[in-house]
Amino acid sequence: MALLEAEQVVMRFGGVVALDNASVDIDPGEVTGLIGPNGAGKTTLFNVVTGLLPPTSGTVRFDGNDITRASVARRSQMGIARTFQKLEAFNTLSALDNVRVAVEKNQRAKWKYRRVNDVAHEMLGKVGLDEVAEVTVGTLPTGSARLVELARALACRPRVLLLDEPSSGLNEDETSAIGQMLLELVADKDNDLAVLLVEHDMSFVMGVCARIHVLDFGKIIAVGTPIEVQADTAVRAAYLGSDEFRGAYVGVDE
Amino acid sequence: MILGVRLSVAIAAALGTLAVVIIAVLTWKGAPVTSQTFLVTTYIGLFLGALWAMYATGLVVVYTTTGVFNFAQGAIGVFAAFLYWELHVNRGWHSILALFVVVGLFAPALGVVLDIVIMRRLRTASLVVQLMVTVAIMVLLLSVVGDIWEADTPRRVPYLFGINNGIDLGPSQLPWHRLIVFVVAIAIAVSMRLLLRRTRIGTAMRAVVDNRELAALNGARPNVVSSTSWALGSMMGALGGILIAPELGLDPATLNNVVIIAFAAAAFGALRNLPMAVVGAMLIGLLRAHTGAWLDFGSDFRFAHLSIAPLLLLFVVIALPQARLEVGRLAHHLRRHERYTKWWEGLIGCGVVILLAAAFSGGWLDFGVWDPGSWGSRELNSANEAMALALIGLSLVPLIGWAGQINFAPLAFAGFGAFVYLKLAGDTGNGYWILVVGLLCAPLGALVALPAARLRGLYLALMTMAFAQAMSLIFFPHPWVMPIIGTGRQFPHIELFGVTFDDRRGFFLLMVSIFAIFVYALVLLRRSRYGRRWMAINDSQAAAATLGVPVVWTKVVVYAVSASMAGIAGVFWATVSGNVDSVQGFDLLIGFNVVLLVAAAGVSIPMAGIFLIFIPLFKGFGLRLEDAGNVDYLVTLLDIMTTYGPGLMVLGMVFNPRGAIFEMGRGFSPILPWRGDARAEIAAENAQKREPEIGELGLERPFTPEEVIAIDRRLEILDEVVPKEGYGTARS
Repeated sequence: MALLEAEQVVMRFGGVVALDNASVDIDPGEVTGLIGPNGAGKTTLFNVVTGLLPPTSGTVRFDGNDITRASVARRSQMGIARTFQKLEAFNTLSALDNVRVAVEKNQRAKWKYRRVNDVAHEMLGKVGLDEVAEVTVGTLPTGSARLVELARALACRPRVLLLDEPSSGLNEDETSAIGQMLLELVADKDNDLAVLLVEHDMSFVMGVCARIHVLDFGKIIAVGTPIEVQADTAVRAAYLGSDEFRGAYVGVDE
Repeated sequence: MILGVRLSVAIAAALGTLAVVIIAVLTWKGAPVTSQTFLVTTYIGLFLGALWAMYATGLVVVYTTTGVFNFAQGAIGVFAAFLYWELHVNRGWHSILALFVVVGLFAPALGVVLDIVIMRRLRTASLVVQLMVTVAIMVLLLSVVGDIWEADTPRRVPYLFGINNGIDLGPSQLPWHRLIVFVVAIAIAVSMRLLLRRTRIGTAMRAVVDNRELAALNGARPNVVSSTSWALGSMMGALGGILIAPELGLDPATLNNVVIIAFAAAAFGALRNLPMAVVGAMLIGLLRAHTGAWLDFGSDFRFAHLSIAPLLLLFVVIALPQARLEVGRLAHHLRRHERYTKWWEGLIGCGVVILLAAAFSGGWLDFGVWDPGSWGSRELNSANEAMALALIGLSLVPLIGWAGQINFAPLAFAGFGAFVYLKLAGDTGNGYWILVVGLLCAPLGALVALPAARLRGLYLALMTMAFAQAMSLIFFPHPWVMPIIGTGRQFPHIELFGVTFDDRRGFFLLMVSIFAIFVYALVLLRRSRYGRRWMAINDSQAAAATLGVPVVWTKVVVYAVSASMAGIAGVFWATVSGNVDSVQGFDLLIGFNVVLLVAAAGVSIPMAGIFLIFIPLFKGFGLRLEDAGNVDYLVTLLDIMTTYGPGLMVLGMVFNPRGAIFEMGRGFSPILPWRGDARAEIAAENAQKREPEIGELGLERPFTPEEVIAIDRRLEILDEVVPKEGYGTARS
């Protein structure tokens, strides 16, 4: 059974159907991709999974438990962490304090009473931000603030990590470093980590994901390996004329 | 659709009905209910409701179209009522002409000016800044009214067409004035509803608040729209003020407090639903009228019938569904580095303050005429009062400054603290009980925050206001609570470490010491995990929740801490006042002033609290100079500073939300020998200001990363890409 499952999730905002019976499942030990054109419902699905939005109908299951009604904080304690598409870093806190908030909440249960500072520095080091640990996040460039969010999510010691466009604001070197880090994180059996990745940078997605879900107008239109997804006619129709996907072909062909 | 009603609504409705029934049974006067008396009571209720509906309509229109909740709505009405009195009664203009000039010309002009100068800039400001600024406008307008129309002359605004002309209703008469009010209020509400829903400008008004840029692209003109809203809102406030003045009398505070009822009515419509807001106003009006007619609360609860609006607000807040944690509203844009006061800096600062206070109270230093050592009891009393208020103000730092939650009830918590102390320490004045006061006030703070903590911040602000109002109307006036009123007995002098602080100078030093301890505790708290967590929920509640921080609980805890501090401060406030007048001493308006002072100083910085000590000094100087009697202009200047200063400074928050101390600190810190970081930051900022020369711009060499950032900033591109090397080479 999958670690995290969203089953038949429907999310309506008034007359708009943002998610239409969307089902996604992700397994530990691999990065799962979630792609789709703008407005397809990717971020909405993240919000439903993390509890920020109560779905109109459908079920979210984590490790076999129904968590559809669990609070956001409860889900975090169970092991679901995320980053945001539009930055939600704590702007008035330093990078280190951003991570500390997360470590402190999980110090007892997940970090076995290790010193908060040590863990926080370790997490910042993982994303390459140890040098700016004392800098107020609001003054950092957007790309770095995004990495602070990632370090903060990792500090929750998650079993499921949801990443919403982690590469935006980063250059190519930084993006590939993130990709490498994700692959290492999921490969480490001790972490037992599953990653769900929303991303527009197709070469990034195709490079790190084992499986990909494709969302279009709130519906899952395809699930499969990167090769299968790219060959799918429905996916090609959804992306027809979109530069993003043409880029993906280039990325894979290389 | 009975089954479709939300559980919370059902619970609140059940609780509300139960409360009404129980109170009615307990306090039934026993007057005979006839159809005639019932009818007359109902018409009075509907008339009152119509007046409040007018205010509430203005609030809802401005809130739905600009996103700003206008606490100054009542004060606009006060100003308009006084202006109308000036023109109509004092200058003898015809009532219709005066009405037209005030409501048709002055009010919309005021609204437009407010919009252009201030409100427009509040669109992206935090809730704290938005509320503080409208409260500042309220206080400023009331101060202006108080200065122009001094309170020593009795004034009355006459009824339109007199009180004796109207329709005969059998036992009593329905004056034209009241009939007109009712018709006009309903007409305004209906036409506003139609305006918002059925006209082009109305659609544009509603669109602009959701997404200003998008609305502008579709042809709406956001500035015209917001000016229109403010003009309309201001007109409704003005009309309401003029029409209600004959009923309530021309007293600024009374007229201004009407707005609290309008808040409750607006909340009944979830702040956006106009018809429901009108229903809410009518409901309060009917409850008020029928309560007055059939129930008798006795002298112990003599003001209880006035607290219907705060109680209704409580039930509305219980009924409202949990707010969603919003994402995507955060502007990732902060120009300045945050620096926390180090523990030893705090220690030195607090030590210096205590020494200065000791020098002041001991008369060690000689300042000549300015020497506080020569102050008499009047000056010292004023200094002590202001010092106690500063202590209360300090309780707002963690709450408003860090967690970004509003509390308009610091004086209500302070009053509760004073009450607890009086009951525990009795006549002895044993100071150790103050610690117990702190412990007992915390649960009260939690209790007040609990119903509204799951809602948006604005409801918490309204809730604290309703709480303050309910305390002044029900709790404090009760003779059991503060039995010393009117008996001439003094609040006992505090006794600590075997010393009785019965001398004003010694008491001042005691308060300064407590102040320094509070400040130092805050310095430490800010660096702790709790301070971090509170600031985190201020920045992004959604992100904090996804990290496992229980947001509602965290807010409740901050309120508890703040209430505990305010309660302790309240003991000192009551002791200074000596003979505590419960209603005046813990009034909402004083609370507003304290909140404003703290906000103006820079509410997020504990050391900013020290700034509040200057206010007592100013006040003391003012009185001293007045006694000396030869420097009138200075007295006037200090008077103006203490009356208008806080309000004006808070308006400065529009441009600089961090407050005055923050800027002063930035100017001051580079002088300190150990603050090399401050000097480096200023040097870096100056370097950034250097404009690249045109000849260099990418033509003779690639852009440097700093230039790319500078250009991004200039073009307001927020997603800055920081390239490794020159811009041209990064991607190749």
